[in-house]
Amino acid sequence: MADQVSQEQTRAAPRPAARLMGSMGVTLVRLAIIIGFFSLWELASGRWIEPFLVSSPSRIFTSLINGFRDGDLWQHSWVTFVEIAIGFPVGAIAGIGLGYAFGRSRVLAEIFEPIIIALNGIPRTALAPLFIVWLGIGLWSKVGVVFLLTFFLNFFNTYTGMRQMDQEYVDLANLMGVKGWKLTFKVIFPAISPYVFTGIRTSIPFAVIGAIVGEFVAATEGVGFFIRMSAGIFKTADVFVGIIILMIMVIILDKIAAIIEKRALRWQNQTEHIQIQA
Amino acid sequence: MADIAHAPSTSAQNHNDFVIRVEGVSKVFQTPSQANLRALEKIALDVRQGEFVTVVGPSGCGKSTLLKLIAGFLAVSAGRILFQGEEVNGLNTRVGYVPQESKLFPWLTVEENVGFGLDPKRYSRPDRERQVNQFIKLAGLAGFEKYYPAQLSGGMSKRASIVRALAYEPPVILMDEPFGPLDAQTRMVLQDELLKIWEQKRQTIVFVTHDLVEAVALADRVVVMTHRPGKIKDVIDVPMSRPRNIFEIHRQEGFNDAYGRLWNIFRHELNIGAH
Repeated sequence: MADQVSQEQTRAAPRPAARLMGSMGVTLVRLAIIIGFFSLWELASGRWIEPFLVSSPSRIFTSLINGFRDGDLWQHSWVTFVEIAIGFPVGAIAGIGLGYAFGRSRVLAEIFEPIIIALNGIPRTALAPLFIVWLGIGLWSKVGVVFLLTFFLNFFNTYTGMRQMDQEYVDLANLMGVKGWKLTFKVIFPAISPYVFTGIRTSIPFAVIGAIVGEFVAATEGVGFFIRMSAGIFKTADVFVGIIILMIMVIILDKIAAIIEKRALRWQNQTEHIQIQA
Repeated sequence: MADIAHAPSTSAQNHNDFVIRVEGVSKVFQTPSQANLRALEKIALDVRQGEFVTVVGPSGCGKSTLLKLIAGFLAVSAGRILFQGEEVNGLNTRVGYVPQESKLFPWLTVEENVGFGLDPKRYSRPDRERQVNQFIKLAGLAGFEKYYPAQLSGGMSKRASIVRALAYEPPVILMDEPFGPLDAQTRMVLQDELLKIWEQKRQTIVFVTHDLVEAVALADRVVVMTHRPGKIKDVIDVPMSRPRNIFEIHRQEGFNDAYGRLWNIFRHELNIGAH
């Protein structure tokens, strides 16, 4: 026991370099880099580089405020959000469901696995124009692209989870007479949940990419449309505004997923061990 | 002494006394690289209702395989296994299984784990709670109901794993070297607790171990297996009185005699293994 404790202490002991900086130091350096970058950008714009090429932080900030005040940006953001809000959950649930089904049924997996892998080989954003042809330039073509990008990532992660899962848990549960609903939701899904959440979280940026690509191809509104239109008339500041909105969307969605993940996997985070023997 | 193992009685009333009858069972594993691996060969073994049987043998002798066959995790290659008179075919849900590692469901709390096998059709809510509390208390885990397995020590998760198998009251419990990875003191404490629980519940237990002292200390009968392909070499009766004091088992009458006989058989077996 004593050995273990001392080992852990050694491992946790800060290395000289880290001790020099401390966590405060790290934050300060990071902040300095960010501030330095933006200052340089502001300074360079109009002095060494044409403003229409790179805009500048102050111009971007003004455009952001104006855009939301006019009401235009709200509308574009809302449209993109709706595309994601429909396509992402449907794609994720379909992917997770199919991954689960493949993991449970050997026959299903054997028949469809090569087909799915072949389909996965297609660069999916290349299908966006096809979705426009099939589903029109409105909401549903973008939902389709979002769905497609989300689906595969969730499918592959869930299916991997099903194959990596410790089969003994299922065997034990079966032996205890547990099957059906209870087996699925009390044993299998908890067992694969780390994989499922990896799928969900890695697919969030891709869902946003899907919506934007769809809007790039053909749209009349949405953040992707706004970016393309602004770039077309050299309103570079607005392009950056669009990018910032997308970034914020990804961050918010990821935060939500992280909170859900933390709650769902709280059994994993319980690392406070008790050392009472017998 | 070995009559029960080697000459299964044919009379009808005796038939019902046996919970498990293993009749001429062999198990061959298909391995892709080498020739077929013969794990078990012509095993015959009867286990009576309420009996505590331990199975000892060198590692790799197929003792775990025997348990897995009785549980129905694996299918026999030859022979048959009768459980309460019915042939085991597929998963045998009337046995409880305690695996080598605790294998508690890490996402469920201690009380959810212990209550996991309790069928809501058989146990009403209050029944279920009573049952879970009783077994948690038996395992000395009172106060830890809401803990997750990751928060428990090795000994505690072991006990939780054992009462999880006991709580839904299957007629037979199969234990696959459950105390293997634990330190000596924890082992003894758990052996003692297991016997105490068993003396209250009197479920039939088949307990696999490679520890000869443990085998004798716990058992009514010790089944000795040979090196691969696993066969039953002998069955030793342990006529020691109960309740037993695990901590001073060496001083109990009958221990030295039973241990001596077991060691004599085993020594021979070790020599074969060494060549």
